[in-house]
Amino acid sequence: MSGVLVVVGHGMTGHRLVREVRDRDREGAWRVVVLAEEPVAAYDRIALSAHARGAPAGRLALPGADFAGDERVELRLSAPVVRIDRAAATVRCADGTEVGYDALVLATGSRPFVPPVPGHDLPGCHVYRTLEDVAAIRAAVRPGRGAVVVGGGLLGLEAAGALDALGMRTHVVEAAPWLMPLQMDEGGGAVLGRLLARRGVRVHCGAGLRSVDAGADGSVRSVTLADGSVLGTGLVVFAAGVRPRDELAAGAGLATGGRGGFLVDARCRTADARIWAVGECAAVEGRCYGLVTPGYRMAEAVARQLTGERDAGFAGAELSTRLKLVGIEVASFGDAHARTEGAVEFVRADLGGDRYAKLVLDSSATTLVGGVLAGDTAAYAALRSLLGRRLPAAPDELLTAA
Amino acid sequence: MSTPGTERIVVVGYGPAAHRLVERLGRHGHRGEVTVLGDEPAGAYSRPLLTSVLDGTLTPGALALPAPPEGTHLRLGVTATAVDRHRRLVRGSDGRAYPYDRLVLATGAAPLVPDLPWARGADGRLTPGVRTLRTLAHCADLGSGDPVAVVGGGPLAVEAALALRRRGRDVTLVHRGRYPLDRHLDARAGESLSARLRALDVALCTGRTAEARTGGKLRLDDGRWVAAGEVLLCTGVAPRTALARAAGLAVRTGVVVDDKLRTADPRVHALGDCAEPPGGTGPHFGHTAAWEQAEALAGLLAGGRDRYTAAGPVVRLKAPEMDLVWLGAPDGAEETVVFADAARRRYARLWLRDGRVRGAVLLGLGRAIAAVVRLYRRGEPVPADRLALLLGSPVEYAGERRPADAVVCHCAHVTGADLAAAWRAGARTVAGLAAATRATTGCGGCVGEVRGWCAAYARGTEAR
Repeated sequence: MSGVLVVVGHGMTGHRLVREVRDRDREGAWRVVVLAEEPVAAYDRIALSAHARGAPAGRLALPGADFAGDERVELRLSAPVVRIDRAAATVRCADGTEVGYDALVLATGSRPFVPPVPGHDLPGCHVYRTLEDVAAIRAAVRPGRGAVVVGGGLLGLEAAGALDALGMRTHVVEAAPWLMPLQMDEGGGAVLGRLLARRGVRVHCGAGLRSVDAGADGSVRSVTLADGSVLGTGLVVFAAGVRPRDELAAGAGLATGGRGGFLVDARCRTADARIWAVGECAAVEGRCYGLVTPGYRMAEAVARQLTGERDAGFAGAELSTRLKLVGIEVASFGDAHARTEGAVEFVRADLGGDRYAKLVLDSSATTLVGGVLAGDTAAYAALRSLLGRRLPAAPDELLTAA
Repeated sequence: MSTPGTERIVVVGYGPAAHRLVERLGRHGHRGEVTVLGDEPAGAYSRPLLTSVLDGTLTPGALALPAPPEGTHLRLGVTATAVDRHRRLVRGSDGRAYPYDRLVLATGAAPLVPDLPWARGADGRLTPGVRTLRTLAHCADLGSGDPVAVVGGGPLAVEAALALRRRGRDVTLVHRGRYPLDRHLDARAGESLSARLRALDVALCTGRTAEARTGGKLRLDDGRWVAAGEVLLCTGVAPRTALARAAGLAVRTGVVVDDKLRTADPRVHALGDCAEPPGGTGPHFGHTAAWEQAEALAGLLAGGRDRYTAAGPVVRLKAPEMDLVWLGAPDGAEETVVFADAARRRYARLWLRDGRVRGAVLLGLGRAIAAVVRLYRRGEPVPADRLALLLGSPVEYAGERRPADAVVCHCAHVTGADLAAAWRAGARTVAGLAAATRATTGCGGCVGEVRGWCAAYARGTEAR
């Protein structure tokens, strides 16, 4: 294959795809056109909270994100794609320009999900996804005043950590009974909640958001939770999950997964053999992944296909996550909730409530399949690299050594 | 007082505690006269084995404990009606007075019947078909075949339910707590226990109380009816303290005694389920504590300097279907260790302080039970590998910490083999390995790991 490769979206995954293609494409078979929606080149979105706390945006730059000096890559910023014409094999940008493609990779990512509660769009409500979002939040920060983060997942807690560091009286609202319910079990979630509370972040679990309430000036004055409690705040940040950006599918006649996302096969290819989707916008065999590591694996798989390895596929990725705030560390890896058939759990926890560690093992209690760490994540990287393998030593030793 | 070892001793009650005391008095060389007043018509028997009568594996006769030492005056069917501490004598229902130098109250405990209108008639007696389970008499005629509802959630309730199942009876366990043994087990142990009971066809109605009983059925507070041709109330016991109270002795839950098992009257002692030793935790119910107390008191009465200090409780569910033990208490523990195997309904939890067991719950882990009980009783530190301890067997570990195909950097998908290749190609530092493989250049979370691999290569232990 050769010709023009059009990449729609220049996030972390789209960027990885282009880099992989350029690294592998020795003969220069592909000319690459990257169409970015944001006015800036790809940046490290994972580090957004560092920027929110005050680190310069430049520190988020990804190596080679502007493709300076690579004449085989053309990066167009502020060029959101609005339509795909598969018959003509072209995409059209918002400004009306059209770009023809021989291969098209959709890497449009996700958009924040904002729960449709009354008042969700009042002035003072924000989302937390892009550099622009962070700039708006920073402009709205008033030290000493209340801030409410809706969503106690990884992103929500990073936002809360940033708001707290900026001196706001920060609340986190989570409908599940404990924080980071996707990654943490009850014990880990409890430690996480205590550590945050100790730092002064007010955690409200088990009660979802009922409404955002306006003051006399028409902007946010408070939020009301499902249990009726009212939290005074002028700033609301929604971090209640994301939804795949698949708006281009309908107009192009491309299928989407049951929960959205461009429906692709295990090679990340749509039903159209010239169109792929990678990252958070892809529903690989129906399943979306909201983390960057699986996105990287998809990008590599597609880059390999584009450079001659026809059968390179996405073999899945483990969904490990770590949250690191000042004085607060939690991580989960592999099958954190022990859903593997016959899985057994080994847990050790300080009763003071500061440290909790769980290893999930297979039914023979010899192979590591997952785990949860809270309070101390020193062993995280080592344990993660042991996933799916026989334990090299006693769990106590693995959890202590690191 | 007369010379120790020669005093006249009267023991009121002839349950296992009294039986053990009398036997140990002989062993300790007590030479004085010993009289025992037992209100049950039969001699002492092993109460812990009652469920074996219930399930039919033992006849009532098989529970009989050995006869007391020769010379013991045993008065069976005689109830002590009053204690005259001034004249130092006990009055019996046989009209006789029994003088003592030392009196030992071993009156035990009586079943506690909850305030349920259907359980008691106007006369205060249990209604037909309703019984408690404390004595051999309670076990009689329970073989008739009707479905049984066991009310209660303590060890006796669970043991009785299982014993009746072994006998082929339909059994429903009705308990107002969230799961059986909720006073002793944490929620996850409770889940596994409940699953095991259900698998043994014990129907569980937890979080429920019985409101009415008609036509051989109990109506629960959620409106459900459960078959209950017989009802067995296993809803706890209360120390029998009326005699002590009437004699003016201090009673809290039980008869208050010091570490010599002595009441405020130095000539009157109490032991077993009726006694409340120091410590503020009420009577130390159960035969294990009773035996420890009997041992201490026998030594004291024979002239020794024994003291009763409660060994931490170790309670084993008496049911052949499952290994279930709880021991000690979590109070003061610093750390907890859990092994949970939901699929096989196995569960263990330790509470540790200074690396020693303060409390534990173990279900379905027979070998671990033996080891943990031993560590607890001896106060020894638990071994470093607590997984092996709880599994009850050594675990074979792979030994190799840095396998070649382990993914070290997930952002750049760098394996151990990739790092090894880079090392062999001349990269000798973390930065060098990073430049060669891109490891650590994503989120940076694997820097420590790469440093570890680098150090291992430098030691020459890997990367060959």
